[in-house]
Amino acid sequence: MPAIHLSAQSFRDSVELEPVVITASHTPKALKEAPVVTRLITLHDIKITDATNIQDMLTQEIPGIEFGFAMSQETSLNMSGFGGNAVLFLVDGERMAGETMDNVDYNRMNLDNVGRIEIVKGASSALYGSNAVGGVVNIISRENLEPWTAHASSRYNTFGHEWRNSAGFSFNTSKWNSQTSFQHTRIDPVDLPKAHTSEEIAIELMKKAQGLPYDESVLNDDSNLSRLYGQKTYNVKERLTWRASDRLTLVGRGSYYFRTSERDTYDYHFNAYSAGLKGRYAWNHARHLELSYAYDQYDKANFLPDGTRTHDHDYSNQQHVAHALYHHPFGKNNLILGADFLHDYLSTYQFVAGTSHSQNNIDGYAQFDWNIIDRLNVVSSVRYDYFSASSQKAFTGRLAIVYKYPWMTFRANYASGFRAPTLKEMYMCFDMGNMGYMILGNPDLKPEKSHNFNVAIERTNRIRNSGFLDGRYNFTLVGYCNIFDKRITTIDGPEYEGKESALYWNENGVTVWGVDASLGHIWDCGVSFRLNYSWMHETGNVYFSQFNQPRTHSMTWRIGYDHRFSRRYALDAALSGRSFGKPQSGRTDVDQGYTIWKLMLQHHLWRSIRLNTAIDNLFNYKPKSYYYSSPLTTGISFSVGLSIDLESCAI
Amino acid sequence: MKKFLTMTMVVMAFVVSMSSCSKDDDTPEVAVADQVVGSYTGTEVLTVMGEADESTETFEFTKASDVSVDVTLPKYGEGMMTVPALPVKGISLTKSGNTITGKLAKYEGTVKSADGSEKAYTVSDVTVIFSDKTVVVTFMQKYGNMPFAFEGQFTGTRK
Repeated sequence: MPAIHLSAQSFRDSVELEPVVITASHTPKALKEAPVVTRLITLHDIKITDATNIQDMLTQEIPGIEFGFAMSQETSLNMSGFGGNAVLFLVDGERMAGETMDNVDYNRMNLDNVGRIEIVKGASSALYGSNAVGGVVNIISRENLEPWTAHASSRYNTFGHEWRNSAGFSFNTSKWNSQTSFQHTRIDPVDLPKAHTSEEIAIELMKKAQGLPYDESVLNDDSNLSRLYGQKTYNVKERLTWRASDRLTLVGRGSYYFRTSERDTYDYHFNAYSAGLKGRYAWNHARHLELSYAYDQYDKANFLPDGTRTHDHDYSNQQHVAHALYHHPFGKNNLILGADFLHDYLSTYQFVAGTSHSQNNIDGYAQFDWNIIDRLNVVSSVRYDYFSASSQKAFTGRLAIVYKYPWMTFRANYASGFRAPTLKEMYMCFDMGNMGYMILGNPDLKPEKSHNFNVAIERTNRIRNSGFLDGRYNFTLVGYCNIFDKRITTIDGPEYEGKESALYWNENGVTVWGVDASLGHIWDCGVSFRLNYSWMHETGNVYFSQFNQPRTHSMTWRIGYDHRFSRRYALDAALSGRSFGKPQSGRTDVDQGYTIWKLMLQHHLWRSIRLNTAIDNLFNYKPKSYYYSSPLTTGISFSVGLSIDLESCAI
Repeated sequence: MKKFLTMTMVVMAFVVSMSSCSKDDDTPEVAVADQVVGSYTGTEVLTVMGEADESTETFEFTKASDVSVDVTLPKYGEGMMTVPALPVKGISLTKSGNTITGKLAKYEGTVKSADGSEKAYTVSDVTVIFSDKTVVVTFMQKYGNMPFAFEGQFTGTRK
């Protein structure tokens, strides 16, 4: 049967065929049998949301995750009370070097060749080590198995006159598989509407100066942002697989990423280079050994408008990772043994001039997946990490219990997490913005620690012969508690060469309580509905920065309809939305919450052409003032995209 | 005939001379730029990331052309924590009644910082209103690698 993407049948199949996830246990498991609740974003979800990068995707799909702005208009993240540096982002299981502002560069994670995304909330350090203190987001690439595929797509969005162009090619033989993808994006600067123009402000100011009646509110604008910077990105990736024998598979990969952000005074250039080699030897489907080496480099530099590099903001982070993973079956049970060596090098303008720092991280871990009876599964993990620069050790563990009734699945999970202080946090010595205010590192920092407890119930079932409700439904309810301690933040520091300073420091932590609920139904007639809701509450040493305004309530939803009208035309429609409650900080000078709707129509023409049309911010929501957690919108926007699958044309 | 020609020349000479006299009597209006140049002292409020800082400053307006002026935004801060004085050039002026309004969308320049290095800066969204001896100025200012913009308001009077 020729490939017809996202038809009604394929949408239903994506739910009913029990998709497999890997992130929660390092082992492929059916989603409903994963030891920890895993939120799966499918290929269909990725296509119907029309997201450009992981930030767009998660914002539209997952409540409790909010992206905002940090200093310098880089991105900040809050996920269930954890910041961006407490959530580990992986691409095909590999971590990335570099940071923009306590985060990796989310623009690197484009979705052009992504097959699925797995999100595990809560600590996962027992498998993934440092940074998985608050959760893991694993982006997993597609592996096309057709003899060959080729596609090209282009999409335009009125917001910032954004263009997204991509192309990909793959081939597959008995021995070789190759996946090549390229993506280019461009968005113009966007001037955010101010409540009042500079001229209106000046007129009121003049009235005030002349002693005439004037409007004080015009003179006070609460916006922190007036302009979103334009940027361009280029991303090219290649992955080549060689099946040397039935047992041995070798995978080589490489990628290059470039982003330029067009600022008022300088252009910021970001470059990332990534390469890796992985070998997998399988004695059988359950017993195998994996050895890999990965290199990732992330560089930043500033350029004057005439193209001259300033060299005063050079930054380079380089990581070498060697990795070993062995799976050994014991009947229905499975043992995993793993070890990593990570060499982390950082050279940055934020260190004392001319200096650089590096450290090694060595770890070993074990996980036993014990299927005591068919209904009861216990997964336990332990891990040891050592960091050379801080001489810090960390022991982490996880115990996950899954009990499956025919009508319901119960899960209970404890996991510990940690985040080792970064080289930047230990050795920074930076005059912020050349303003005589120093940010100082602290080599005596301790790792951040977290303990995550959660319980969950999940039910998936089919309704038959009930008329209107015939179809498949599922719901998941998760309650969790995250105890987060020794959080690394900054406090007032000592005077440094006559200048005031801020010093990195371990603060007392917070406890985050929360509930995540998800309800979905797919009717046999092609209509689908999904609602995700997240509630959270923080206690303890709660710290609100202007860049981080977590919200108690958040919700996402999507009503979908897909139908094949003829051999030449199928429609996939989605009306989705997200709603965020008021910030927990109690800040009142900004909107207390917002709701944004999006309508997406995906037209499948013949077998090979897909025409996407979308109306975002359907009801034209406009923030009353723009602050760091405002949604990036100036009102309603429209997009149109065209995608062509050439292999389907050739059939 | 000769008398007629003589009279005609006299009349023409009179007309020409009257025309000349008339022209000589026209007082050319002072260029708008000349009407506003000078030093204005008053209160500047700089707001950055929601925090406002108020100080007494002097804004110096100089003539760039008959219909445009330059201004230098005064330095801000002390010691190493200083944003140097920033020249802004080419603010276009228009006059309406007793009010002269100046607008400039964006000005990009470079300046020596406190440590002697060259720094780029941008001043944008500039509005200036002159009325009698009072001036108000509103502007946005980005300096060097500072990751945030200053939003400025100035109200001053000419000495």
